[in-house]
Amino acid sequence: MQTARLRSLQALGIFCGFAAGAWLGGAEAPIKLINPDISPVTVSLIMVFGVFLARWSVPAFVRGTSHVRYDVRQAPHLVVWAVLAGCMWAVANTLTIYAIRNVGLSIAFPLWNTNSLLGIFWGFLLFNELHYAGWKRWLGVLGGAVCMFGGATLLAIASSHQAAPGKATLGILAALGAGILWGTMYIPYRKAYLTGMNPLSFITFFTVGELATMTTLAVIYRGVTPLWNELVGARAVLFWLMLGGFVWVIGDLFQQYATKYVGISRGIPLSNTNQLWGLLWGILVFHELRGSGQTVYAQVAGGSLLMALGAVAIALSSATEREHSSWQDAAQREGKRYGVEGEYVRAGMEGRQFGAGPSDRTLLDWILILGTTALFVVLAVMARLPHLDIAIGWAVALTIAMLALLATCGIALWRTTRFR
Amino acid sequence: MASSTEPNDRLSLFRVIATDIHFWIPLIVLAGGLLLLDNLR
Repeated sequence: MQTARLRSLQALGIFCGFAAGAWLGGAEAPIKLINPDISPVTVSLIMVFGVFLARWSVPAFVRGTSHVRYDVRQAPHLVVWAVLAGCMWAVANTLTIYAIRNVGLSIAFPLWNTNSLLGIFWGFLLFNELHYAGWKRWLGVLGGAVCMFGGATLLAIASSHQAAPGKATLGILAALGAGILWGTMYIPYRKAYLTGMNPLSFITFFTVGELATMTTLAVIYRGVTPLWNELVGARAVLFWLMLGGFVWVIGDLFQQYATKYVGISRGIPLSNTNQLWGLLWGILVFHELRGSGQTVYAQVAGGSLLMALGAVAIALSSATEREHSSWQDAAQREGKRYGVEGEYVRAGMEGRQFGAGPSDRTLLDWILILGTTALFVVLAVMARLPHLDIAIGWAVALTIAMLALLATCGIALWRTTRFR
Repeated sequence: MASSTEPNDRLSLFRVIATDIHFWIPLIVLAGGLLLLDNLR
């Protein structure tokens, strides 16, 4: 790959990581509007419904589902990997609910945030990431991730409103378990993108595992009839939860592109800046820290600064040509193992089109786009906005900032890779 | 090119996946997560 192309892809991946942070953090906003009486498992299930719809309609809108079929014909094994990753996500997400319940957000969040450190470990061990990177880049990535971990800890303590913890050991195990599951989930991610699969294709199968696992867990934990009654009773907030799921998918999509172009060791810590955005929504829009003491504000300022410094350190430690060539070795190994055409693998890594490929959207695409839109319109009509003290001006400002990031990063992705 | 999805190809595909050590790491972690979840509820 030419040096200029490598640099532009690295810059694109880093940009995607920051955009992912904004959208993943913004996804927390609609959830804050929800009545706490609804069980966490049901909340998670409804969000996953929204995620499922978004994961099929967004790719249909951006490239058309014929591209998904085309990708699967090239690398059919990745369907299995994507479903496996989706199952892991659902189990991890359910574990976080138990973790928060047992030890509170302040302890749970930093523990599951260790996923980025595990991501760096798997990236190095299995996919040749950070090989021949030099000590400066090692320091940038590892130091940045540790810095972000410290910042996340401070922010979580500051934003915690939890009661005294009970069942502490189980809660800590749940939080660590979620971190291990999410950190290991990046193995399928990296596997897919080294082989050349398009993120838009990967997520459509990922979500099958996600929805199937979440539905099974919800049925087991709640029972069919109580679950149905709870879903019917929650119809006034279905829109907000599914909107949260939809926004989350946009963030996740950027995270997938970041993973593809800068690897898991850099992409995941960068998208963990979502905690900063979640905190911005909490403080500015929902007045969450109103009346807090100076110590809390000092923790917020210190934590935010640490996270920002960590993210900048990682962003400045992009892969060198030598490191990238070792990624290519890992990609060749994958292609050889699964019998994927070499040119398809190379084209995927370089963010360019392989072969002619399908061009038009099909009837199925329009059905997915219009069907999802219609469903969201119906849910929006049924939705009720709870009586909360919300700063609308700040909500509009943050939404505009997120949309600006979506537009600029989307344009950059289109110009550089045509969403490859 | 791995473009066919005939039964024999599918079988060999699953065989290749099953012999890939990378596959067993997330699978074992997933099984551990499910066990932990079962203990928590």
